Amino acid sequence: MIRVDSITIKEFRGIRDLTLDLKGKNFAICGPNGTGKSGVVDALEFALTGNVSRLSGEGRGDVSLRQHGPHVDSRNDPDKARVTVKVTIPSLRKTVTIERSLKIPAAAYVTPSDPAVLEVLGQVKAHPEIVLSRRELIRYVLATPGKRAEEIQTLLHLDQVEKVRGGLQKIANTCERQLVPLRTAATQTRDNLLRVLEMTALTTKNVLAAANAHRAILGLPALGELTQTTSLKDGMVTPGPVQPQRIPKAQALADIRAAREALVEITSVPTTARVAEVTADLTALANDPAVSAGVVRETFYATGLELIEAGTCPLCDTSWDLDGLKRYVQAKIDHLKEVSLRRRTVETKIAPLITALRTVRAAIEILLRHAAHARPPVVMHVASAYSATRGAATERLSALLPLAETITVLANVPIVPQGVLDAIGELERAVAALPEPTKQDAAREWLTIAQERLEVWRDAMRKQTAANEQAQRARQVSDIYAATSDTVLTGIYADVQTDFASLYGFVNRDDEDKFKAQLVPSMGKLGLDVDFYGRGFFPPGAYHSEGHQDGMGLCLYLALMRHLQGAGFTLAVLDDVLMSVDSGHRREVCALLKREFPNTQFIMTTHDPIWLRHMRTEGLLAGRSSADFRTWSVDLGPTRWDDRDVWTEINDHLEENDVRAAAGLLRHYLEYASTELCHRLRAPVEFRGDARYQLGELMPAAIARMQKLHKRAKDAASSWNQGETVDQVAARTSAFTLLAEASKAEQWQVNIAVHYNNWDNLTKEDFAPVAKAFRDLLGGFACSDCNEYLRVSPDRETPETLRCECGKTNINVRRKSA
Amino acid sequence: MTPPPTVEGTPDVPAQVFEKFLRALAGVGVSAELVVRLRKTLLEEQTFTERALTAAILGEEPLP
Repeated sequence: MIRVDSITIKEFRGIRDLTLDLKGKNFAICGPNGTGKSGVVDALEFALTGNVSRLSGEGRGDVSLRQHGPHVDSRNDPDKARVTVKVTIPSLRKTVTIERSLKIPAAAYVTPSDPAVLEVLGQVKAHPEIVLSRRELIRYVLATPGKRAEEIQTLLHLDQVEKVRGGLQKIANTCERQLVPLRTAATQTRDNLLRVLEMTALTTKNVLAAANAHRAILGLPALGELTQTTSLKDGMVTPGPVQPQRIPKAQALADIRAAREALVEITSVPTTARVAEVTADLTALANDPAVSAGVVRETFYATGLELIEAGTCPLCDTSWDLDGLKRYVQAKIDHLKEVSLRRRTVETKIAPLITALRTVRAAIEILLRHAAHARPPVVMHVASAYSATRGAATERLSALLPLAETITVLANVPIVPQGVLDAIGELERAVAALPEPTKQDAAREWLTIAQERLEVWRDAMRKQTAANEQAQRARQVSDIYAATSDTVLTGIYADVQTDFASLYGFVNRDDEDKFKAQLVPSMGKLGLDVDFYGRGFFPPGAYHSEGHQDGMGLCLYLALMRHLQGAGFTLAVLDDVLMSVDSGHRREVCALLKREFPNTQFIMTTHDPIWLRHMRTEGLLAGRSSADFRTWSVDLGPTRWDDRDVWTEINDHLEENDVRAAAGLLRHYLEYASTELCHRLRAPVEFRGDARYQLGELMPAAIARMQKLHKRAKDAASSWNQGETVDQVAARTSAFTLLAEASKAEQWQVNIAVHYNNWDNLTKEDFAPVAKAFRDLLGGFACSDCNEYLRVSPDRETPETLRCECGKTNINVRRKSA
Repeated sequence: MTPPPTVEGTPDVPAQVFEKFLRALAGVGVSAELVVRLRKTLLEEQTFTERALTAAILGEEPLP
């Protein structure tokens, strides 16, 4: 997507005014802790995304970007806090300037701001994962499978995929749930129809035979077929409007018998026993406070678990042992999951009771319709109220929560008020007292009721069929989506897994070149198991060292980014990652980044100067592609080991007659520079296990090494009969010898009067020449063109050349073979 | 070291999943209208709410 050419930071975080010229190449910032390295990373993230993840998101408490992003002295003037980055967009071959201030973090001033540029910058903004700190890195490795899946899903922008998966599943489940009452209704309406038909099996042949028998009594023609639109009473004369509707005696008596059977069923011993069992289960659940707000609480605890970073509760700030707190919250989540399982078990047990309630209600409703036609009227208020309460009870049991109300309702399920039975008895007596209808009236009533119930059944079946079709469709769509997304994701994970193992195996090829890994997606989780020296697959944290885990985190991140962005993976910011990796493996990391990601610009921070040197010697960093932060102060921000800065600062001290400060700074800078020189020139220095070398050990060694290299260069030129080169080297040697003598560094061991320990005691006039001498001496180690310190190449085995990064200085130091 | 298996990258994994899903749906004989509605919802409008998905799956039909 982009490469960063330069960044200018003003009044942002701990930085007052800093410009880094990255030139679109790999770049490293090295310095002790607290010198402002991460401030640069924050500034870069801010310029590209308008956000600083370290100041926002989970666990940041009262810290905010707007309030705490500006330098502390500019906290009331966020407009002063500005970051400007110049980037190149390789795909568009364009250079773009992006400027943001903390006054309006969301507003970026982009020049040029054509749509193509804005689209690319939009993509960059959507991928804040270009910035990787060790904290993020380790999340890919040591997280729980569920959490890892979330992290990787976020990285791959899979949240949309999962949202759709969840939505489709929910729709399918909803459709299936809605089928249950429709199936019950279809069964009930069929039973009602069968009762009228006085048969046990609903077949076309049976229905036609019964209907035609009754039609024959009325002299109506027989029906030849039974279709969706066939009316059993086709051709029958409808009674005139003045004639009151009669109760169909036979059907009414059958319906009364069915209602009684339903009531017997709901008061039966098995029903009572089931009610008692469900009540006991619900009571046990109700005593568990986790139930009532289970889902809400589970989400709450899961969020809380994510927020725990230090040993403090994120809610009440009570101090806890970190692991203890995590275990405590996890136990609550586990308990809620167990409760959820128990709830589903109870719902299964309660389902037959809901069906029984629906059956009773449907049966009573039919009796109420019969009673409405009774003359004199039969009072059915109690039965009507009972029917209504059965309806409410059905809804309550279906909802289940709140449990206390459900338990109360459940207790009334097997209870049928005597008033209901009395009303049914009165209706039965009223129906029984009706005169027997004539054959024709009975036939007419049969055809009317049968047709009416046939239509009701047909309607229920249509609804059930439609719902069934919807449920099947929704389930099919959901299943296909799940299978497709699993296939795509499994493919991605398989590719990432292979790439990850390959990258990690390269870094650790000394002993884990056959390393393998398994990314195993399952039920929204993503397991990661890694091979441990051929002994089997285990979680990364099981046996591998912390350093190896850091390496895994980086390799998994790189594999994911490569698969996510492909050729667009042009920028990654690695903020102090690989802290735990040893120097040998860091060298391999350098080789890996250089070899596998030649088109990616890596911007790295480290507090370890040796790590920085590895980056240089491995060729990951070229020339001046680094910044060495030496100190930081709230007034000045970071200060760099930069020639111009240092000599200016020394002169400033001398101007103020502060020799002590000037001498301290010179000594400090020479310690840094002589370390660098000894490293570059491969100067022999007496080894110290604690790596605490002194200036008196390093600088003379660097001078001696340079002189020896000059001698080798002269001998080499002579062996090749290169007279001109011999003269050039001789001139170089003479000049360097003069510089070395002027510095008196070679005399430190023998002449205490010129030792750097005594610089503090010099006068301004005495110290100024000393500073100049060392400035000139350091110049003698550098290329006159690029100002870069010369280095011996190769960095191991027999030296061949003394050269600089720009190629202007390239002195052969290897003699012609005999 | 084996060369990386993929170098093209998958810049939009969701779009890749949705596209394959819609092709799979069409492949099993689901109605063309349903596929068109889901394509509009997932890829054109990029609306992933339950309401939008329900409308896409069930069309104009109300739940019974």
